[in-house]
Amino acid sequence: MTKEFTIFSLALKNLKRKPLRTGILIVAIGLLVSVLVFALSFVRRVDSSIRITSDRLGSDLLIVPTGSRGAAEDVLLENKVKTFYMDKGIIDRVKNIKGIDRLTYQTYLVTITGVCCDVPETIVVAFNQDTDFVIKPWLTKKLGRELKKGEAIVGSESAFNIRLGLTEVDSVLFGNIFKMVGVLDKTGTGLDNAIFIDDKNIDDILQKGKADIKPGQISVIFAKVQKGYDPYEVAGNIEDSIIEADTVARKDIGKSLINTLRDINRIFSVTVMLASILSIFLVWAVFSAIANERSKEVGIMRAIGAKENHVVRIFFLEVFVIGSIGSILGIVSGTALSFLLSKSFIILKNLSNDLSIAERIFIGILSLLAGTGICIVGALSPIQRIKKLEPLLAIKEE
Amino acid sequence: MSQIEIIDILKIYTIGDLNIRAVDNVSMKIEKGEFLSVVGHSGSGKTTLISIMGGIIRPTTGRVLFEGIDISSLNDEKLSEYRNEKIGFMFQFASLLPILTAKENVLLPRIFSPKGKSKNGKEAEEYLDMVGIGEKINAYPSQLSGGQQRRVAIARALMNDPQVILADEPTGDLDEETEAEIMELFKRLNKEKKVTFIFITHNLDLARQAQKQIRMTHGVIKEI
Repeated sequence: MTKEFTIFSLALKNLKRKPLRTGILIVAIGLLVSVLVFALSFVRRVDSSIRITSDRLGSDLLIVPTGSRGAAEDVLLENKVKTFYMDKGIIDRVKNIKGIDRLTYQTYLVTITGVCCDVPETIVVAFNQDTDFVIKPWLTKKLGRELKKGEAIVGSESAFNIRLGLTEVDSVLFGNIFKMVGVLDKTGTGLDNAIFIDDKNIDDILQKGKADIKPGQISVIFAKVQKGYDPYEVAGNIEDSIIEADTVARKDIGKSLINTLRDINRIFSVTVMLASILSIFLVWAVFSAIANERSKEVGIMRAIGAKENHVVRIFFLEVFVIGSIGSILGIVSGTALSFLLSKSFIILKNLSNDLSIAERIFIGILSLLAGTGICIVGALSPIQRIKKLEPLLAIKEE
Repeated sequence: MSQIEIIDILKIYTIGDLNIRAVDNVSMKIEKGEFLSVVGHSGSGKTTLISIMGGIIRPTTGRVLFEGIDISSLNDEKLSEYRNEKIGFMFQFASLLPILTAKENVLLPRIFSPKGKSKNGKEAEEYLDMVGIGEKINAYPSQLSGGQQRRVAIARALMNDPQVILADEPTGDLDEETEAEIMELFKRLNKEKKVTFIFITHNLDLARQAQKQIRMTHGVIKEI
């Protein structure tokens, strides 16, 4: 059967008539979409990491030593290896604050290869299994029981870092031998890079004297607020009555990071906006030239029966093909770029939560619409002009 | 009822402050199957007149009736359909799209036709055969001689089985031999397909071959 000749085939032939020009337009749109995909992936990844972390920690308030808000966020959001300590007695003082429902605490220790431990530098989280509500859900899911003294379980990323894909191996932590009993599922928080032990091991660790911690110190208290109480009000009361402690409400986790991001966002926005304007201008200039070049052809087509909407369809199909091919190339290169450059951006490197497939698809669709839309906006005025051409004048034009 | 009836057509072009009466209150009737030539000096209004008949331009005043229907009052959509279905155009130059093959150029009016008409090219091949260049269906205009390009343009004009073919100097830049061949083709099509032919020419010998001849001067029509 002979292939049908359609308006779409005519549009494709038009695009093939000047392959270099068509290629340049596709590459320009591709570059724009690539920047857009990279920017959206970057911002979205940081944003969703913060959101997931604050949700998964399961507490309304974090109570940390005064001046350690940033360090706590660094550990919880960005996998940074930092320690900060406050007196354990603060737990009882927090308990007495009106509106506190329940709380638990964690102590962060840092391993140093060859000095105290046989694992690379990482955070060891000692947590209280009797009160815990942060780690326990993951532990129950994976191990099905509590950790015993002398046992440790590693976070999903930490398992990779310390080559502990295998369980039931012994490791030396702060001069004590720990049996690694498993690997936790990915939580999407900075704690994925940590090793978890029961708080009862702290005494043994202190006895060996290989950890930089003093007796009676803890790092962070996670608190749940009673129903009907405003977490911000409770946080204010804690800070007013306990001078040695700072608080971070769930909604404020990552606020300093978000503030930093705001500037990066602005840079991305300006870059994308300028690139969009440039692309619109480029498409406009190219399609204005095309409209001039083809005015006689359009006149002939109109004379042999093409309606205004036929002319519009031919040009829009060309614009659509350029826009969609450019956008698809941009989506592929932008996604590849975000993977490659994620190792160059410290902020991304330290975030444990990656974008989900659904989020990547969303960014892809958004970028496809943006790339194609920009092409259409750029070509709109030349197309409007050419569809209104007087056929006889266009045909007679030399 | 005449196939085409022109009633008091006036077409004024405004250039700056100047009003040019390209066609000046012309009235005439054309019957189905006529073979008509239009002669006249450059600027005498020949092209404007046949463009008004073909619905490419609208008259300033007056009416053009095609089989009793006033095409001057049709909207752009209906007027395009009229040009596509009732009229076949040939211009002063071959007017082929350079990116399309001969067959695709012939098929071009078909892609603007209402749905239902075949666009697969079999008919286009038949028309190209009919005008004598059946072996060149896949050639691009740049690969065809001037005469061959005219033949493709004729095949394209015939593609949608028009009732009238309007040709503006269809043999303008052709050698005498090709010119004669094209004229023979016109006459054959006029006879076999009963298509009305209206063609503009500067060549009085060619004009005389028509059944009816019209001379235009300063926008006014004079039958010879």
